[in-house]
Amino acid sequence: MRESRLMQLQYATAAAALVLVAVHLLMQGVLVPYSTAISFDRVLAVYKDGVDVSLLEILLIVVVAHGFNGVRIILLELRQTRSWTTWVSRGALIAAAGTIAYGTRTILLAVLGAPS
Amino acid sequence: MDTLLRVQRFEPTVDRAPKTQEYSVPFRDGMTVLDAILYVKDYVDHSLAVRFSCRQASCGSCGMKINGVPRLACYTQVADVGGREVTVSPMDNFPIVRDLVTDLTGFFEKHKEVIPHVVRRDSAEMESPTSDYLMKPEDLERILQFTYCIKCGLCTSSCPTVATDSLYPGPQALAQAYRYTMDVRDEGGAERFKVLDSAHGVFRCHYAGSCSAVCPKGVDPALGIQLLKRHVMSAKPPRGPGEGARTSKP
Repeated sequence: MRESRLMQLQYATAAAALVLVAVHLLMQGVLVPYSTAISFDRVLAVYKDGVDVSLLEILLIVVVAHGFNGVRIILLELRQTRSWTTWVSRGALIAAAGTIAYGTRTILLAVLGAPS
Repeated sequence: MDTLLRVQRFEPTVDRAPKTQEYSVPFRDGMTVLDAILYVKDYVDHSLAVRFSCRQASCGSCGMKINGVPRLACYTQVADVGGREVTVSPMDNFPIVRDLVTDLTGFFEKHKEVIPHVVRRDSAEMESPTSDYLMKPEDLERILQFTYCIKCGLCTSSCPTVATDSLYPGPQALAQAYRYTMDVRDEGGAERFKVLDSAHGVFRCHYAGSCSAVCPKGVDPALGIQLLKRHVMSAKPPRGPGEGARTSKP
């Protein structure tokens, strides 16, 4: 992918993360009192709500894409060889995909009900 | 009154590390740092190595760090940097040839990478011109300040990204890439995009802005780089010969 497209993604995910984190905090800290927002029942209820769980999934994808692309950029400036550039980019992509898969699995287990 | 001139000395084939040598130079009004260095070279120590040529901030040869700031020695008066004590050392981000002389080979290689000239595909017209290529005043205005670059290397020596990323073209090359890419007569965008839109291209600029702060000609490379980012991000890369030219002959 062209670097300019990756940077567009970086800027877009930064803006999206700001909005989504703000909405997330609003939902957890304002609409519901913060003291009860992280109670076990409340957290499970969040995972049962379609809007809430969609927001969490989108937030996961946005933050992971932004974070791992940022790490890729930092690592690119650490060393400058063709193989390093290739492997850092591939590594960041694989790590991001793995993190999203693991996070999605966690969300799905909560939605569908974790085996006890 | 004498000026204390501290000079960083280094002969890579002999010395293990740079050392500082002090010289006393008679101060006079209007004396530039280059004048002070040449006084030392003429009357005190002939072995001091310094590169210079025009003495009027046109050639860009005498770039060095003066009291820690990249400046042209011929364009900096001793009185303007304190007068009593002046410390000079070679520019950062360049290999040292000797004393104050740095190797600009890599710098010019990166300059050449961005194809710093107008590229045209109409070779027949170039060989036998029939008329002028017209340029509107506003088109010239857009790139004019970037044409003032004298390739002294001060911007590159002050750039933190150049210090860490050896493949980054640097502010001088990128500002020139903007200057030629936005030239309405140019058709070389496709070749330049290969350098600019790469993993070590224009997007590695962190906008420290030090390049613009030290330019002795008032060029704003940081502005050029940000505009170039916008252009690269919004434009489709020109795919073939002829695409990208925006002028027509009358």
